[in-house]
Amino acid sequence: MVGDNGNNEIRIGVFLCHCGSNIAGVVDPREIAEYAATLPNVVRSVDTMYACADSGQSLIKEEIQKHNLNRVVVSACSVRMHEPTFRAVVKEAGLNPFLMEMANIREQCTWAHGHHPEEALEKAKSLTAAAVAKARFLTPLDMIKVPVTQKAMVVGGGVAGINAALDLADQGVETILVEKEPTIGGVMAQLNKTFPTMDCSI
Amino acid sequence: MVDASRHPKVDVRTYTEVERVEGFVGNFKAQLREKARFVFEDRCNGCGDCAEVCPIEVPNYFELNIAPRKAIDVAMSQSVPLVYNIDMDSCIECYQCVEACGELDAIDFSMEDKLVWEDIGSIVIATGFNHFDPSAMTEYGYGRFPNVITAMEMERLNNSAGPTGGNLIRPSDGKNPESIAIINCVGSRDKRFNPSCSNFCCMYAIKNAVLLKQAYPDMELSVYYIDIRTPSKGYEEFYDRARKLGIRFIQGRPGLITEDPETQNVFVHSEDRDLGRVTEREYDMVMLNQAAIPQPDADTISSVLNITQSPGGWFMEYHPKLRPLDTPTDGIFLAGACQGPKDIPSSVAQGAGAAARAGRVVHSEEWEIEPTVAVVWEDRCISAEGKKCGVCVRACPYGSILYEEGKAPEIVTAKCHGCGGCVAECPHNAITQLHFTDAQILAQIQTLLADKPEEKILAFRCHWCSYGGADLAGVSHFDYSANERGLRVMCSARMDADFIYEAFRLGAGAVLFSGCHPQDCHYITGQRVGAKRAKRMLKQFERVGMTSGRFRIEWISAAEGDKYARVVNEMQDVLDSIPEEELQEEIEKLQPYMEKRARRMREVPQIEEAASFAEKIALGHGTQDPAST
Repeated sequence: MVGDNGNNEIRIGVFLCHCGSNIAGVVDPREIAEYAATLPNVVRSVDTMYACADSGQSLIKEEIQKHNLNRVVVSACSVRMHEPTFRAVVKEAGLNPFLMEMANIREQCTWAHGHHPEEALEKAKSLTAAAVAKARFLTPLDMIKVPVTQKAMVVGGGVAGINAALDLADQGVETILVEKEPTIGGVMAQLNKTFPTMDCSI
Repeated sequence: MVDASRHPKVDVRTYTEVERVEGFVGNFKAQLREKARFVFEDRCNGCGDCAEVCPIEVPNYFELNIAPRKAIDVAMSQSVPLVYNIDMDSCIECYQCVEACGELDAIDFSMEDKLVWEDIGSIVIATGFNHFDPSAMTEYGYGRFPNVITAMEMERLNNSAGPTGGNLIRPSDGKNPESIAIINCVGSRDKRFNPSCSNFCCMYAIKNAVLLKQAYPDMELSVYYIDIRTPSKGYEEFYDRARKLGIRFIQGRPGLITEDPETQNVFVHSEDRDLGRVTEREYDMVMLNQAAIPQPDADTISSVLNITQSPGGWFMEYHPKLRPLDTPTDGIFLAGACQGPKDIPSSVAQGAGAAARAGRVVHSEEWEIEPTVAVVWEDRCISAEGKKCGVCVRACPYGSILYEEGKAPEIVTAKCHGCGGCVAECPHNAITQLHFTDAQILAQIQTLLADKPEEKILAFRCHWCSYGGADLAGVSHFDYSANERGLRVMCSARMDADFIYEAFRLGAGAVLFSGCHPQDCHYITGQRVGAKRAKRMLKQFERVGMTSGRFRIEWISAAEGDKYARVVNEMQDVLDSIPEEELQEEIEKLQPYMEKRARRMREVPQIEEAASFAEKIALGHGTQDPAST
């Protein structure tokens, strides 16, 4: 299967995010969208104020359905920020989540090259094109499901660890609280009173 | 504390350390070292008869070594569990304790450390912080002047459960002090030691001043500070209360403490910004408010659990705003001051938050992990043809490849973490990684180098560290050369030699090979697999006459945005230093070599298709009917 959506033609949709002025304050996303529209297999290329907002997500879903897109490129921020968001969006629109690729034109472009808008524009186009190039070869993948051991371990028996262990235990989870010293309590147990309420520490 | 020991679902394992952690989210295996106490936890009733007869006294760590403990003792009377233990370094083995214990028979001198394995679904790290040792700041005389003490020593001296029963005395003569100076930012906000702010010490200074003033209303109390930081709820009001109690706040960082050798009173020499001059004031005692620093074994914990550290040594969160309690390793979470200095309210809140995050995992019957695993093309594998190989097995940090001579290797999907090391190492390109296939990456390389490749710096970055470092460079708005073109793979192990040859074949000006620092690698030894390959290539390129600096290897963590920007800029400087014609000449001269080296990649499925697609992109400016915008 080359495509998804039950057809064999690769149909890529490119979505250019303004991110308010974070991207659009340096480069014109419409210009990148126009450029992306000329790339092979790109059948839709549109810009949106905030791709991650409800309006942006709805736009992506509508475009996927309306234009029978089977690959999506979101040219916006870091994958560390919104890859899960856009994977979920394409999934809701009926596409396999791994048929979405992001280009990072915010953290790794407009934020770093804010004083060089022309070079930033050229780079943003290039990063978007590279994402389109990868998207052309994406294949649908299924998440791997693994069993889960219903037991937790908290390392460190100070005030944070004790609270974490008690909360996990109150959720019904068997919890091992590991402490390297002979007693739990940590620094907190050594303190006299604690601020701002001045109650005792233990 | 007691709640934790009483809760039927909490298994408190004190005097225990985590030795090893293997596995992955939902399926961790932890090896714990239960250190020998020489006292049976289930038999000891905490009566203390053993300590009474013990003839040996050693410093008690819990009392900051200002009070003794016996060789067999508990840290404090409220210890949880209330079980004695023997400090074997000081025990003389007189066995009087055994006699005193009598019928309980709780003491066993033959006890040894025990190693046990536990199956765990999710892990919360809450290993806390340590205190800065002010003896490194010689100007304050800590260790030389007996009446200069640390904040933690003050905690024990002014504590009804402490060694003096709460009667505050000064160490030199046992008299009650009438004046005390508290000095803030000792070792913090100090570029010689820790440049950052320790978060809670302003409030901590105020707390101690208020406690002392309440106990000794006539005591003269001064707090020396750079700034007073009281941002949380109720904190500013608390500061206000302290001022109304008559505690003097002096803005100025003391530069020197001296001592009157006769009275052993101390003189604090400091600027006083209210007076606009340097002052010298006499006190009976000085309390140094120490910086919070990472635990001395933070490096060990970080490598055992495979979690990253920020430059200061604190454990690093996945994302400071969006996932502040997660580590980059799925299923491992952070709570409290191990992530950065935190006061008690924040530590408690983070403990609760981390419990909720960890609960999300263990309440699920199954957990989904990314399918970016390695897959073998049997028809390309020489082992399947009966030849000797096994390179892939040696590259795998997880032992997830089953290899038998004469057969293509089998990759155990559940054990494969998707570093891509075997994929890049396979000399016959017989393994691919889903979602990071050679064709996908080649298409990216060709596209990124489509226009004026000689001006470009192609940067291969691993997902966990260097990609994050590049993100941080942007978040911090560090300006770096816009000729950089970044490409992401999961680990430097996946950065195939073919990709580098291909980039130079296409005429790339420079190529950056960048991943995690070895101790931070998300795939145990993945970085080492990549590093070995990259170093080999660096030598090859030197041999064939490539200008030094055009291929560069750098390990850049997600916290090193400044380094990422600097490295890219230095690479730009290298390119700027080579005259245009010379660079072109060098690229052309090396092209046949690169072509020859990368030839095997050309045989891989979809590669030609990817190349022609990328070519269409390169040439395709405006050639296709534009899709409507």
